[in-house]
Amino acid sequence: MQQFLNTALTGLTLGMVYAAFALALVLIWRSTRIVNFAQAPMAMTTTFVALVVIDAGFSYWLGFVAALLSGLVLGAVLERVVVRPVEGKAEINAVILTLGLFIVLHGLAAVVFGNRYRSFPAPFGLEGLSVGGTTIALNGFGIFTIVSVLLVMALLVALFRFTDVGLRMRASAFNQEVARLLGVKVGSMLTLGWALASLVGSLAGLLIAGGSLVHPSYMDSVVVFGFVAAVLGGLDSPLGAVVGGLVLGLSLSFVSGYVGSQLVALAALVILMLVLTLRPGGLFAQAPERRV
Amino acid sequence: MTRHIRGGVPLLTALATTLALTACGAGGRDGSDGGGGAPADPGVTDDTVTIGGSFPLTGVAAPGYSEIPTGAKAYFDHVNAQGGVHGRQIEYIVKDDGYNPTTTSTVTNELVLKDEVFATVGSLGTPTQASVADYLNDEGVPQLMVSSGSLQWGDDVDNRPLTFGWQPDYESEGKIIGQWVAENMPDARVGLFLQDDDLGEDAEKGVRQYVDDQIVAVERYTSGNTDVAPQISGLQAKKADLVLAFNTPSYTALSQLVALKTGYEPQWFYANIGSDPALVGSLLERFSEGAVAGSSAALDGVMTTEYIPGIDSTDDPWVQLWQQVWDEQGGDGELTNYRIYGMSQAYAFVQALEAAGEDLTREGLVAAIEEGGTEWEGPQLAPFRYSADSHMGISGMRIVELEGGVGEPLTEVLVTDIGDAEITADDSGQADDSPPENGVPGS
Repeated sequence: MQQFLNTALTGLTLGMVYAAFALALVLIWRSTRIVNFAQAPMAMTTTFVALVVIDAGFSYWLGFVAALLSGLVLGAVLERVVVRPVEGKAEINAVILTLGLFIVLHGLAAVVFGNRYRSFPAPFGLEGLSVGGTTIALNGFGIFTIVSVLLVMALLVALFRFTDVGLRMRASAFNQEVARLLGVKVGSMLTLGWALASLVGSLAGLLIAGGSLVHPSYMDSVVVFGFVAAVLGGLDSPLGAVVGGLVLGLSLSFVSGYVGSQLVALAALVILMLVLTLRPGGLFAQAPERRV
Repeated sequence: MTRHIRGGVPLLTALATTLALTACGAGGRDGSDGGGGAPADPGVTDDTVTIGGSFPLTGVAAPGYSEIPTGAKAYFDHVNAQGGVHGRQIEYIVKDDGYNPTTTSTVTNELVLKDEVFATVGSLGTPTQASVADYLNDEGVPQLMVSSGSLQWGDDVDNRPLTFGWQPDYESEGKIIGQWVAENMPDARVGLFLQDDDLGEDAEKGVRQYVDDQIVAVERYTSGNTDVAPQISGLQAKKADLVLAFNTPSYTALSQLVALKTGYEPQWFYANIGSDPALVGSLLERFSEGAVAGSSAALDGVMTTEYIPGIDSTDDPWVQLWQQVWDEQGGDGELTNYRIYGMSQAYAFVQALEAAGEDLTREGLVAAIEEGGTEWEGPQLAPFRYSADSHMGISGMRIVELEGGVGEPLTEVLVTDIGDAEITADDSGQADDSPPENGVPGS
């Protein structure tokens, strides 16, 4: 029973991290129609920024904020400088470009921050909570993870559904020409989309790093699982991303605990295949209406 | 490129070199390599011998392991400063394979074809070196002292006559640990935490010989998947109160973190490969506020094994030699257990060069290791097992308990071999020898 509970709780926390990452992918997809493969190394880079700040003697929270801000800036700069030239061209160009960014950021981080494992602090205790005499696999940081991802999801839903900016972002992603005719500053919207997505990605990076070990490729498995989570949810829906993340986190945790850890990656792909076969648009997609 | 046929290599290359260079005669050569002319094999001249090695200098396996070649290099520089071996300076070419077997093939090709090394020495990793073992043997290039405890470097001399292990194999380590547990903790509920490859497999084979009936849980993790919570929960659920862990250092840190999270407090027993207190301590240091003791105290009370003296034994004459070598020849950073590992390995290779005599050939080197290897004095606590039938490395180790980063011996040095070979106390006195004055063997 305790094993079941602990496996479930671990899966829940991990699922929330996948969800945060999937949210970043959804955000960029909704605002620019690009799947950003460089999301993982971008988040890794900003996490290392936090580590530098913390190493310099400042508090965890200052590092946390520094990482989020640098995520915001990094996203905006990359969009303006690197991605802008390929926007509006064939979709494959942007995809290949983000793959290239993936490799470049990886290499740069290894040069700048070093290639070894380093521990990343957590702001709360790492010991599991005690419930009725037994320790359960949920610590303060796990609760923080769950709460912050749910909060980000709510904010994103609110942004896209209830605000003017959200509407303009969707419009410019959906059809640049028409949006421009309607007076939307498409360029700024795309930059904003990348900046916000990069910020959410940075959050995912910080959440998975807290109380664990980081190195330049620590986000690489998350990019695969986060991508699967986003596709499960339909790539278009923040709620879908969170549900997708949870489904994936829980199933993978149970597969690892009860079947074998060598099957984790395989299980993720089986889940992806099942969902895409049964509901090609993802669990929460409204894809049919979008076909033009 | 000519593809050499094994066995014909020394003769062919000897002929080729003689024809091409009509080199000055060295004289005094034994008859087996064609006679006359300069040393025949690639990588050897009258005043140099060029060797190579591939290591993970970048990537996930780099922490710790990337320091091994820096230690070896420092020791070779030390030997070179004393005039080299038989008048030859040792040139050591280190390549980065990132612990990726595909890259290992590429860089090994470079070492053999472009750099024309005499032998590879100390190259690291089970999957990585397995990918080039057959190639090196086919090309006639000795693959010496592989940095891995897999059985495959030493138990198949017929198919890999040029491959040699160095460190104790995981099966022997498993046997020694298993027997100790059976004798000293017969009531323990044993859980195994294993890396899902040769490391875990070989070790499990050894452990099960002694404590098969005590094992209540076996959990395997896949290297690269850093979430080990499901595995630790599995051990906890089966109420294992003694965990025998065969894993790499990062996973020692991860398993300690997860155990903290799930409130699991068994007796931990980490195999040598995963128990470097300095490295694990540095990984866990930051969590001291979160109730993990920082730095070297992180693994207090944990049991492990030891087969060469490490930095904690400051009184050991070998460690004093390594410290001196590192101070004089080393690069950036402190002397670490990984650098000591590299130096100890380099020392054994220099012994092999010494033993191979003035007329250095690959065949002669291999023969010298097979004939004399078990007799070599050196930092290793137990003798090598090298012979014409076995290329296995160090034959044993002792069990220690860590306290403040220092290993307190729980047993004397125990030696054994793979299969059903008995475990006995070592009577060779290997653990008590000390290095020669100038730190170069045979002088």
